[in-house]
Amino acid sequence: MSPLNSSNPCLPKTHFLKVPTFDPFFKFKSFSFNTHIPPNRAHALSFSINSKLKSSQDIQNNKGKKGVSQKIVLSEVTPPPLTENNDDINGGSGNGNENVPAKSRNKRGVSGLAKMLSKRTLQILSNLPLAIGEMFTIAALMALGTFIDQGEPPEHYFQQYPEDHPVLGFFTWRWVLALGFDHMYSSPVFLGMLVLLGASLMACTYTTQIPLVKVSRRWSFLHSAETIRKQEFSESLPRASIEDVGTILMGSGYEVFLKGPCLYAFKGLAGRLAPIGVHIALLLIMAGGTLSALGSFKGSVTVPQGLNFVAGDVLGPTGFLSSPNEDFNTEIHVNRFFMDYYDSGEVSQFHSDLSLFNMDGKEVMRKTISVNDPLRYGGITIYQTDWSISALQILKNNEGPYNLAMAPLQINGDKKLYGTFMPIGDVNSSDVKGISMLARDLQSIVLYDADGKFAGIRRPNSKLPININGTEIVILDAIGSSGLDLKTDPGVPIVYAGFGALMLTTCISYLSHSQVWALQDGTSVVIGGKSNRAKMEFPEEMNRLLDKVPEIVQSSLSEQAGGIRG
Amino acid sequence: MIFSTLEHILTHISFSVVSIVISIHLITLLVNEIVGLYDSSEKGMIITFFCITGLLVTRWIFSSHLPFSDLYESLIFLSWGFSIFHMIPCLQNHLSTIIAPSVLFTQGFATSGLLTKIHQSAILVPALQSHWLMMHVSMMILSYAALLCGSLLSVAILVITVREVIQIVRKSNNLYFLNELFSFAEIKYINLNERNNVLQKTSFFSYRNYYKSQFIQQLDRWGYRIISLGFIFLTIGILSGAVWANEAWGSYWNWDPKETWAFITWTVFAIYLHTRKNKKLEGVNSSMVASMGFFLIWICYFGINLLGIGLHSYGSFISN
Repeated sequence: MSPLNSSNPCLPKTHFLKVPTFDPFFKFKSFSFNTHIPPNRAHALSFSINSKLKSSQDIQNNKGKKGVSQKIVLSEVTPPPLTENNDDINGGSGNGNENVPAKSRNKRGVSGLAKMLSKRTLQILSNLPLAIGEMFTIAALMALGTFIDQGEPPEHYFQQYPEDHPVLGFFTWRWVLALGFDHMYSSPVFLGMLVLLGASLMACTYTTQIPLVKVSRRWSFLHSAETIRKQEFSESLPRASIEDVGTILMGSGYEVFLKGPCLYAFKGLAGRLAPIGVHIALLLIMAGGTLSALGSFKGSVTVPQGLNFVAGDVLGPTGFLSSPNEDFNTEIHVNRFFMDYYDSGEVSQFHSDLSLFNMDGKEVMRKTISVNDPLRYGGITIYQTDWSISALQILKNNEGPYNLAMAPLQINGDKKLYGTFMPIGDVNSSDVKGISMLARDLQSIVLYDADGKFAGIRRPNSKLPININGTEIVILDAIGSSGLDLKTDPGVPIVYAGFGALMLTTCISYLSHSQVWALQDGTSVVIGGKSNRAKMEFPEEMNRLLDKVPEIVQSSLSEQAGGIRG
Repeated sequence: MIFSTLEHILTHISFSVVSIVISIHLITLLVNEIVGLYDSSEKGMIITFFCITGLLVTRWIFSSHLPFSDLYESLIFLSWGFSIFHMIPCLQNHLSTIIAPSVLFTQGFATSGLLTKIHQSAILVPALQSHWLMMHVSMMILSYAALLCGSLLSVAILVITVREVIQIVRKSNNLYFLNELFSFAEIKYINLNERNNVLQKTSFFSYRNYYKSQFIQQLDRWGYRIISLGFIFLTIGILSGAVWANEAWGSYWNWDPKETWAFITWTVFAIYLHTRKNKKLEGVNSSMVASMGFFLIWICYFGINLLGIGLHSYGSFISN
């Protein structure tokens, strides 16, 4: 008994004293309850008292008979505050917007009208079917956006969706261009739907979810066996005591509240509140995304090794909120560009060694960046995204070095190909012949002679000369250029906060809010309960737990006081 | 060489074990009494699980990166995900009939000639060399596995409900197969209950209908649970992908086709979860949404890859 008492602050001591005073006491009590049902509240089937006590300590303060009497007074004097919200307690699922209009009747006048209007808007916005419709529309628009080629010039759409052969009988380029579906994800239709969805999210959070918090923070006792039996799960245990049930529920992580013969226990309340967090996280992401779209700078640049550029020259604003800062004067110098290769010769990674100089020409930062490892300075982020070959450095007949500019020959597809041409003989003649050099990466250069025949492969740095058409060529170096993307994005911290919150709250939302009511009815205990998500696991869990409840044998009951549980 | 041999052996073992498991399922459905066979099918699934795990580990060691880089590997991982969900003890009775064929199909498709070209474990392109790869891809594929399981349950509900109304549906070949599959599941479930002697009071007349509605409810609730789980994985997967994208190519959202379709899938399952909130929409409506999600996942998973558009068409990453 004592370990139970210490581990269980919610169970008032007096309850243990009640156990020996068995049947007559309980029967009398349930009888006395029935007499207190006011006739005008008969429709409620039971009278449920919703105590607003916030914590288990409060219960302890109202120990024993004082608590009981106070409770009876409560039922007579104050009408149960939650009668209109009873659906919320029992149904639990987001139909809470029905309680809103009841309160707005009293207000009159202009301000009242405005309030009515805003309430009405809220009500419409928080309508679940509307929200579902919005989500469907957004999903459909996004899907459409992947089928229609995005960001092409109008001529493309004239050709693809001609007026004489409309897709599906009506869909022509006029639709595409009028609705802005050539840039779907920034089209007014799509953005409008997103805004509407955001408004719905806010309205739903305000009208449905927040009231739900208030409701679920109170815990309610059910005082009639009938109501308890009407729960999704119900069971009646003969010869059991409600304290045992309480202890066992507590043992499996329930918060247990006892008051007289009534027990209320719940678990996983966070699972019921987390969807609010999900909505708020989504709003955060939307806000961050908006800020990103309006307040960013973006730009990309291809810089040959050894050259430099100023960040502000590359960065261009994306929206009217974009405002440059002094970090835009930073000068970025590409010290070195190099690539890693697999054994098979494929490119595995590429790196740029960057130095950042401020206005005074002082180096403020130096970092070697690669794909997946960007550089961050001030608000500017520099990404390694691409590469190309800018030039070949060669010695021709031991003269030079000359730089031959490389041109991309193959842009589409996985493999890149660069080439250059070195004329031999008379450059001014109409039929210039020369040596062609091709490279897929910075590793090896393939050389072809003036007739287009394969002449050989040379690695830069090998210093190995090759003699083609009487010209001796040494390839000194292949100079790569680094493809860099620059960005400032003030929305990222907000979006990331939203991401974190969304992940966390989605996980918590998996928890199921389980509620258990029990009532000592004579020697037997009536138990009922429900769970909002784990509807399959909950009855199993309850059956498992209730199997553990010890059966009270009459003789031992009369002999020992509270020692049965030992 | 040893690795590829080992890989072959493991693939074939797992494939044949799953086929055996499925035939065992069919046999136990026709002949109710053999409980031993049912146990052996459970063991078979465990063997399959270990084989696929071995396969993945082999590939991992062989290619020295996590085996998520192409469609073949992700398919193997998908069937691994299915077998994981099969291993979750509380789901076994209800789901094995649906999961086992799913493993067979993914495994069979992965090993079939269609994808032979990409069997060779390829190199990782620069953009894929990140710690986010493991997080993003494993979460995405686990979510596909969970969502596919859950939405298959919803498809089952639809099929059972629709069959009551329209018998014509049976004529269609594909649906006929589905029907068979799920009516097997149904019969088995009834048998299970029979053994447990639950609710003997029910009169023989309403017996079938009662169990039908009970069975639909069970499917519905399990479907909801599994889809919620898959939804968590999908959320984490998409968001980790977004964070990764912000690291790799400078924007957390690009409206790339694969991203967009993942988001569409997410939206549709969000709709499913919301329809569950409303008593009016629960039931057939929500299972219709989930069945829609079933097809969306396949579009998202295969359609986009096979079309080879966007940044996610494995292989043609980044080097535009």
